[in-house]
Formats: sequence, structure tokens, C-alpha cells
Amino acid sequence: MQDTRYLFQRNRTWWVKVAVPRAERDALGYDLRRSLHTEDLAEALVARGPVLEELRQELKDARQAQKAGRACRESLMPDDENGFEILLREDFSDVTFLLEVKAPLLAKAAKPGQFIIVILHEHGERIPLTIADFSADKGTITLVIQAVGKSTREMQQRCHAGTHLHALVGPMGFPSELGAQKIICVGGGLGVAPIYPQLRAFKESGSYVIGVVGFRSKELIFWQDKFEQYCDELIICTDDGSVGIQGRVTLGLEAALKLHSDVDRVIAVGPPIMMKACAETTRPFGVETIVSMNPIVVDGTGMCGGCRVRVGDEIKFACVDGPEFDAHKVDFDDLMSRLGRYKGDEARALEGWEKALS
Amino acid sequence: MARKTIRSIPQMRADMPVQAPAVRAENFDEVALGFDLKNALIESERCLVCPKPNCVPACPVNIDIPGFIVRISEQDYRGAYDILTESTLLPAICGRVCPQEDQCEGVCPVGDKLEPVAIGRLERWIGDMAIENGWRNIPPIVANGFKIGIVGSGPAGMACAADMAKASCDVTIYEALHRAGGVLRYGIPEFRLPNKVLDAELENLRALGVKIECNILVGRLFTIEQMLNELGFDAVFIGTGAGYPSFMGIDGESLNGVLSANELLTRCNLMGATEFPRYDTPLGLGKRVAVIGSGNTAMDALRVSLRAGAEEVYCLYRRTRAESPARIEELEHAEEEGIHFEWLTAPVEILDDGNSNVRALRCQKMELGEPDESGRRRPVPIAGSEYEFEVDTVVYAIGTNANPIIGQTSKIALNKWGYIEADDQLATSMAGVYAGGDIVTGAATVILAMGTGRQAARSMKTYLGIRDSSAVYRTTPDHGEASIFGIDPTERTHVRVRVA
Repeated sequence: MQDTRYLFQRNRTWWVKVAVPRAERDALGYDLRRSLHTEDLAEALVARGPVLEELRQELKDARQAQKAGRACRESLMPDDENGFEILLREDFSDVTFLLEVKAPLLAKAAKPGQFIIVILHEHGERIPLTIADFSADKGTITLVIQAVGKSTREMQQRCHAGTHLHALVGPMGFPSELGAQKIICVGGGLGVAPIYPQLRAFKESGSYVIGVVGFRSKELIFWQDKFEQYCDELIICTDDGSVGIQGRVTLGLEAALKLHSDVDRVIAVGPPIMMKACAETTRPFGVETIVSMNPIVVDGTGMCGGCRVRVGDEIKFACVDGPEFDAHKVDFDDLMSRLGRYKGDEARALEGWEKALS
Repeated sequence: MARKTIRSIPQMRADMPVQAPAVRAENFDEVALGFDLKNALIESERCLVCPKPNCVPACPVNIDIPGFIVRISEQDYRGAYDILTESTLLPAICGRVCPQEDQCEGVCPVGDKLEPVAIGRLERWIGDMAIENGWRNIPPIVANGFKIGIVGSGPAGMACAADMAKASCDVTIYEALHRAGGVLRYGIPEFRLPNKVLDAELENLRALGVKIECNILVGRLFTIEQMLNELGFDAVFIGTGAGYPSFMGIDGESLNGVLSANELLTRCNLMGATEFPRYDTPLGLGKRVAVIGSGNTAMDALRVSLRAGAEEVYCLYRRTRAESPARIEELEHAEEEGIHFEWLTAPVEILDDGNSNVRALRCQKMELGEPDESGRRRPVPIAGSEYEFEVDTVVYAIGTNANPIIGQTSKIALNKWGYIEADDQLATSMAGVYAGGDIVTGAATVILAMGTGRQAARSMKTYLGIRDSSAVYRTTPDHGEASIFGIDPTERTHVRVRVA
């Protein structure tokens, strides 16, 4: 018995036939066949080899083309290799670092006061981060991150120039409302970087800008030149008094308010406790004060309600109604207690991650 | 063969195997396992094949129901699939999540005497078979140069995208989340709609040439106006849904442990929180969970909570089981799994433990009074019936409102509740922009959203001057050889729209 695999006869002529795997059937049909132009079995057996090779090559090409097509279609649903590329990383301290990420559309659309959501990897959570800077010309956005929890620590470890973020979406929330005569921009802790695009926008729109930024000590100061460029006055506060005023940003804020009676707006960005203190500082002066909320967010598109904050008598969703609200109406205690909701889980995640590392 | 009568058909519904309640309450695998061949054939025999069927007009997308059931009984399964796909894009999904008892099965004459034909289960069976065998009905597509943008990859957007792609347009879907599918992804849990079914249906869309781009927040990244003016879209469909969750406004809602069903479901379904800490998103569910509301979302939240490790799960509803808007099958499944139902109960306050966590609910008993405008009897509180009910997690599933982002960022007219104003043809106040799904109708069902998506596609085709697609995509275009009086039959009037 001859080995006649892949061969069949049609009108006595011998043909070669290769079955097509299910995945490629849409493109190629059920099988690939080719005539050997001979009625003689012996000849056909000889001719079968090269023809078979050719057909198999065809199958392989089709599979690769399909894969490439799919990769192309999914280019905006990136995996870790073709996500959003990190172009630059800069470390300001052992916990604070800067990432410059390539996102041309986002850089074009972003406005001061808005935030984005980052996903580090496929199993990652959606991390809301205020945009620290953006450049439509370069097509990049800048994020300043404090590595405090598991996800941000992991970012600190994994994100270097040349690596990719799994996802990046935004800009979210309403941009800041411009148009103040004289404005004080206060940034502390995590809020130092995000206050920068705000004061730049205010300066460019013609406001008189007083910047108040707080750091722990002289060594941890960053972007001083950038701040100076856009501030008419810059007040630096440090916890240890190594530069500027010794103490919290509220001291700087109070000094500025006393000096300028015609300030018509204050914007404060930073940890909730700092924003609360700023609100209390400006209250006696009766100056309109805006704070940028940073509650727990899942989707950031107004769908989960996890980010709800109490503003006056109303419940607002920070992601679609904010993130900026009237500081004198925000219930900060509510915000802080809600931020603590996952403390236990967060500690557990961090501990597990550290254990896995060591 | 003699005509089938109510006496000659199999009297009992064919069984569909389900996972045992005790087993399934511990896992996220699908509950209803679907028909096997034998049962499907028995069930298909139960259709009387009415000459003037009630079920077809009762279906939001007018599936030829007797047609596909007859094909099943003739064992022509591919034929049944072809009939289904003429009307619905997603048979495997609709067979699972449609409220058939209010639609096709509700008007089935067999149901007058016996249990109605299990249309949904048969649809699902064919849908699953198509996925398993890789069946696809892809018409030959010759690009006609029109570019269509779809905002939101939920059921409305998917349906509209499919129809426009079949009409040879270049379709792009934008999704704000990092995975496509909308409510089918983040809302409906794995045990009711497995992700692989959704993935297969999305793959079908891609095979039609539809591009799906995730992580794009339309409105903020670019506006609808920019899509028309700068990105070159000829028409845009908005299907952003009604995902904005409602709360009741009672005291204690900002305590830790109070969350919306959307948040719970998103954390579990989209973010993998049940596998925390392997996935980074925590769930933070307590041991005693109360879900307020009794719709389908509430059922999902209840059953997800149970599977995610809650010990006792309660459903609080201010009316009775008869008024519950959930699908009967989901309600029954939830009951079997050991969920406690507290009918005629409404919460009045959420109490704290002194540490900003939920300790208990203060509830009130209700009784049913006169029917209200919706025709359901209005619940009236019973005086002095308040009591405390110990729970540590409260989940709100009392409905959702319109997603506000498109309204905030475009000039499209909204109605007073924030939904997009659309006419019968689903055209919005902006030329070339159509809307459908929950963002127009208010919170409704998957199939209704698909129905509006298809209606919007019809309107778009009229607007763009595209001929009825069925006439075009059934024939193989001859590339001008069959031109009539020198007019190529595949040639279309090409209009571009600019909005000031």
C-alpha cells in the first residue's frame, strides 16, 4: 500500500490537499489544494513533497498575517510591550519620582486641574493621578508619583525609561476655571507637582500668581526654577526650616493673605489634611478657595460612585462633577474616613508584595 | 404531517442542566449550563410555528423566532444561526440576559396552557454552538468611504457598529475603560455571562472590520464636535449608557461599607477583585451584606457577594416578589443559592460603629397601597415598624442615571434628567449624531439597547444615503462589470457633514 496522504484524485488527475486549521478558515477556506498535473501515482508521489511545503508555507504566512492584523487592531488596547511608553524618569527622593509618558492625544487635550488613570500591568488597579505637566508639542504628559502603597511602590520599581504602562486614560474631570486677578496656588506633598500647570495657566491668562509650596527639607525641593518662572512671588515652606518659612504651607498661605488683601482666589492641592488646613486658613479672610479632591476611584467615568464626596448638602462624584470643589463646603472628615476604607487590604497587599520580592 | 397542536407537543419544558446551588454559590462558573442536543430538539418540537406569531413583534430586534426554531427541529443548526444573525448580533448573549418572560416567551400561546417555549435557551444554544464551531456570517464588504464613530462599546454601540460595518462603513468604537464590552463586561458577572462568550462576540465584530479602541474617554480626550470636524467622522453614535449610580440620600451613606452595585460589580468583573491580592484591586466586602433593590443588577450584586465570601446576604425591597423587576430565572437562582429576601422592607438610616464603618441598617416595614403611575402598587410605610438590622456592608442597586460626560462636553441637547434628547429616529439635536441605549431610554435591558443601536444604524444609513444594506451585502459586488447605464451598483453618494 502506497502512502497517499495529502493526495486525492479528481478526474484521474492527482491533487494535493492540506486542511486549514479553524482559526484561519475565514481567510483561506476549508482547505488548500493544488493540482499536480499528472495521472500517474508514482509521479504524483514525487511531486507531492515540494507542493506540500509550499502549501504549508502559505498557511504559516496567513497565520502570521492574521496575528499582525490583530496586533494592529489592538494597538490601543496595549499589553505591557505596546502600551504607553515611558520616555523619562527622574527621582526626586526615595519615594517621589517623575515619569514622562508618551501620549500625544492626551497631551493635546489635557488642561490644568484634570487627572488621568493609570494601569500598571494586566492585574493592576486603576490608579488616579493628577496631571503634573503636559506638553502638546512633545506629545507627553508628566506624572509625579509618591510610592506609598503596593501599586505605587511597584511602579517605582518597574517604571523606567523605555518601559510601558498597560493603560493610560483621561483627561478626566473639569479643568480649572481660569480668570482670577490675583491668585495664591498652594501645593504640598503630592500636590506640589499638580499645582505647577495650574499656576502656569493662571500666569499665562494674566493673573498675578503667588505660589506657596511645601517640602520636608531643602534636599527634597524640586522644580524650583519652573515655579519661579511662572510665579510673581514664590514662598517655599520647609518642615525643618532649611529653606524659606519653617513650618506647614498654611503659614506661607496666611502670610501671603495678610500681605495681599486683594487676593480673589486660592487653590490648594495636596493631601486631604493639608487642604483642610488651607480651607480653615482662608475662611476668616473670606477668599474663594478651591481644592482638588483625590478620593478612591475605580473607573473614573462616573460609573461606580466610589469617589463620592460631600460638598455642602450635596453628594458629588469627584470624577465627573469635580475634581475641584469649593473648599469651604467640602466635608474633609468624610473624605479622610472614606480614604481609609481599604487600609487593611492595602497593607496586606503591600506586605504580600514585599514578601514575594525578598 | 399534521399540524402541531397544544396537545401534540411535548407538554413539559425540556430540562436545562444547572450547577447545583450549593456548588455554584462557591464558584464564578456559569450557573445555567445550556441545553444538550437531545433537550434542544425536544424543546424545539414545542413550538407551534404559529402562522401569525406573537413572539416576533414582541422581540425588540424582531428575530424570526419560529423560523429559527423550525431549523433546529430540522437539525439545520447553521440555518438557525443564519436566521438569528439576520436580526441579532449576539445570540449567545441575548439568550442569556434577555428578560424573555416579558418579551417573546411572555406572548407565546403555548404559555396559555403550559410553560411557554424556552426561546431564550434555544437562542443561547445556537449562539454557543456558533462560537464553538467558529461560525460567522461575514458579508463581502467593499469600503464605501464613510467613517462612523461609536462612543461606548456596550450592547447599543456593538449593535450599531455591526450594522454600519455590514453596510460597508469604516467603523471605530471608542471605549473609556481598558476592556471592551461596556455593561456586558463590567456589570454582568461571569456566572451569568462568561467572558469568553463576550470575547467571541467582540471577535465577530472585529472580523467585520470594526476597530475597537479602549482607553479613549470621548468628551474629554476629544469631543463629539471634534470627531465630526477634525477626526473626519461622517456620523457618530453615542451609546454611553446610564451608569451613574443612584443613592437614596438617607443618613450614613458616606460610611465605609456603603457602595453602589456598580462599584461592587466593576471591582469583581472588570478588575478581578475577587482574586485580590493576585489582582491589585481590593473588594472590601463584609460578612453580612444587604443589597437594596430587587432588579437584575441587585440579583447580580447579591450573587456576587455570596460568591465573594459573604456569609449572609440579604435583599431588601420595598415591594413584594411579584413586583420585583428582576428576571424570574435570576430570582429563582438567587433564592436557591440561599439569599435571604426581606420583602416590603425599606432602609431609613445606616448606622455606624463609631469608626465610620457600617454597623447596622435601620429599616421600616412597608405595605402595598394604591397602584401608582407605573401600575405597581405603591409601598406605604407602616408606622412604628422600624427595627435595626445588623449588617456590615450595604450595596445600593436602586437604579442608575445618565452618564454626564457627553452632556458636559458637547452642545447636544439633553432632557431634564440629563439623558440625550433623541427623536423617533434616534437623531440628536446635532446633525449626524445619533444616540441609543440607556443614554436615551434610561436604564433598560441589553436587548432594548441593541434594538435602539440598530434603529440608529438604520437612521444613519438614511442620513448618509446608504441603501438598505440587505440588498447590498447579499450579492457579490462585481466591481463595475454589472454597471447599469454606466452606474456602478456599489457606488454610493458620498456626503460629508460639517457642523459649525
